[in-house]
Amino acid sequence: MEEKKKITAREIIENYDGPKLRIMEVCGTHTHEIFRLGIRNILPENIELISGPGCPVCVTPVGFIDEAIMLALEHDCTIMTFGDLVRVPGTEMSLAGARAKGARIQPVYTPTDAYEYAKEHPDEQVVFLAVGFETTTPSACMAVQMAKKDGLTNFSILTANKTMTNAYRALKGSADAYLYPGHVNAITGAKSCEQLADEGIYGVICGFTAKEILTALAVTIVKLQEGKPFFKNCYPRVVTQEGSISGQKMIEETMEPCDSEWRGLGIIPESGLQLREEYAAYDARKKFALPKVEGKPNPACRCGDVLQGKCKPSDCKVFGTGCTPQHPVGACMVSNEGTCAAWYAYNR
Amino acid sequence: MSKTVTLAHGAGGKQTAELIDQVFKAHFANPQFTSDDAAVLNIGSEKLAFTTDGFIVSPYEFPGGNVGKLSICGTVNDLACMGAKPLYMTCAFVIEEGFPMDKLEEIAAAMEKTAKEAGVCIVAGDTKVAGKGQVDGVFITTTGIGQIMDGVQTSGKLAKPGDAIIVTGDVGRHGCTILLARDEYGIDADVDSDCAPLWGTVESMFSVTKDIHVVRDATRGGVGTVLYEIAEQSNVGIRLNAEDVPVDGAVKGVCGMLGLEPLYLACEGRLVIIAPKEEANGIVEELRKGKYSANAAIIGEITEDMPGRVVMTTEIGAETLLPQPGGELLPRIC
Repeated sequence: MEEKKKITAREIIENYDGPKLRIMEVCGTHTHEIFRLGIRNILPENIELISGPGCPVCVTPVGFIDEAIMLALEHDCTIMTFGDLVRVPGTEMSLAGARAKGARIQPVYTPTDAYEYAKEHPDEQVVFLAVGFETTTPSACMAVQMAKKDGLTNFSILTANKTMTNAYRALKGSADAYLYPGHVNAITGAKSCEQLADEGIYGVICGFTAKEILTALAVTIVKLQEGKPFFKNCYPRVVTQEGSISGQKMIEETMEPCDSEWRGLGIIPESGLQLREEYAAYDARKKFALPKVEGKPNPACRCGDVLQGKCKPSDCKVFGTGCTPQHPVGACMVSNEGTCAAWYAYNR
Repeated sequence: MSKTVTLAHGAGGKQTAELIDQVFKAHFANPQFTSDDAAVLNIGSEKLAFTTDGFIVSPYEFPGGNVGKLSICGTVNDLACMGAKPLYMTCAFVIEEGFPMDKLEEIAAAMEKTAKEAGVCIVAGDTKVAGKGQVDGVFITTTGIGQIMDGVQTSGKLAKPGDAIIVTGDVGRHGCTILLARDEYGIDADVDSDCAPLWGTVESMFSVTKDIHVVRDATRGGVGTVLYEIAEQSNVGIRLNAEDVPVDGAVKGVCGMLGLEPLYLACEGRLVIIAPKEEANGIVEELRKGKYSANAAIIGEITEDMPGRVVMTTEIGAETLLPQPGGELLPRIC
């Protein structure tokens, strides 16, 4: 029975012969899985998949890396970060470059690891680089809450947390429909995207197995052909209407919305999160009185255009020559969930 | 090439090949210099395989083995891949000042046990002690010599279109074990290293047929790296069926969480075998009787098209390239 369903979804995709459709998969994990499974290779010519801004590493602005390097080199902080961020280029260097100059840069898997480290190393000022979407933000909030409860004075976070809803609005013209990131919706619920349908923003919440991705893609194609406003939750085994109330509460208690810069896309209003005033002591920007930093991305890099589907990675002049996974120029080449890195790995 | 040596030069991928070509091969080149796992030497009427390998794994003990066991397996397996029965070995230790004596005992005992199983004698050695911090724990180099079976000729250059590709068990176990043993990710999973001496496995395989073209142990860089090397050396294409590649459930889980491809994680007890299609089922049947190859499987075939590339048929039946190995592999895996 299940086998039959899978074939049907694939047939819908392969046999589509209507007008050109542009579908944006927002999540970096989807980008990677779509390449890994070879889904792009079964698409007919008139369906274009655009890899959107859902890889936290890819959308982290240059200035954020510069701020982290400033904390490491000028304020002697120990920087704890998700590993991929270490190689993202800043204006002058990456965190890996700072490490070569003697900075303490330590990859961690969760924000609470950074909090634990701070507890064990009272003589070091520990800063966690809080990037990511609604999926990872609750755990950063939890680390801050735990630090406050323990009265830790050597732990803070540098926030670049982002929320998706206003990004969907900002990118409305880039695609006909979105494959929404199931992990984000697991926290925010189906309701957050349902509301968007009323504004003319359409999409389908997509899971992460081969079958779930094919199904979501097929549903999107069918719905777009019908030509009516639509929203569909194709990941109901994980995403509920209301989402994770405890996750939402954790964010709500600790953080508040702010304008946020997305690499290549500029500032999107109310698309970021910063610590609330009562947690100001854990906000690295305030704690170390960082000046306003304006990062300068490499002008040759077209990551911003790639993230909006305005060009393919291979249209960028430095792709595959000056910019490779070994020596990334743009953030999209760093993480293996980045569009350029996936393109480089699977399209050569 | 960069001005200084980087960790990528030791990862067993493209940069390692560059380093060997541009520095070592440039100075050492001679007719016997080999790109295979061991050199083949004709001495008198004997055809011998000769190889050496250094072991700097961190941590030096891990579920399923330690650096001592690894140092015997690595060299025994390099000889076995040439169809050579391992005969004699030497070992050189570089030990850090302050290293616990009981741990050194454990390492030596593991070497004794593994050598015995492989039927090889350790006949000479060297001991050096370096000051605290000048070396990390214990580094071991082993060298081995073996006698190549009559009528056997294997090389990465001998893969032919139409040949079948076999792996002798589930992939990525050693790499996954070391990754978890370093405790950097806060993940617990029940995985132990596949580290094993494989002469018995190879011998049983050649008892089925001598007509086996390539035998390689998939160490650093894993099965994926080995397949790309063979595709290049033999100038052939490789087609894999993703669903046929055996991967342990726990390894798959860890890879899923960390975004890793099991085909690129190191093995220390797995062979990639390339043999004529008509022999493949017989070989697999024989392998499955062995204790280190019970999960042997045919995972793909050699093709004429797409030379130098590895194409995967994925679980949805679509085709895609297996990404080429990069320089991002784990350092100090063996």
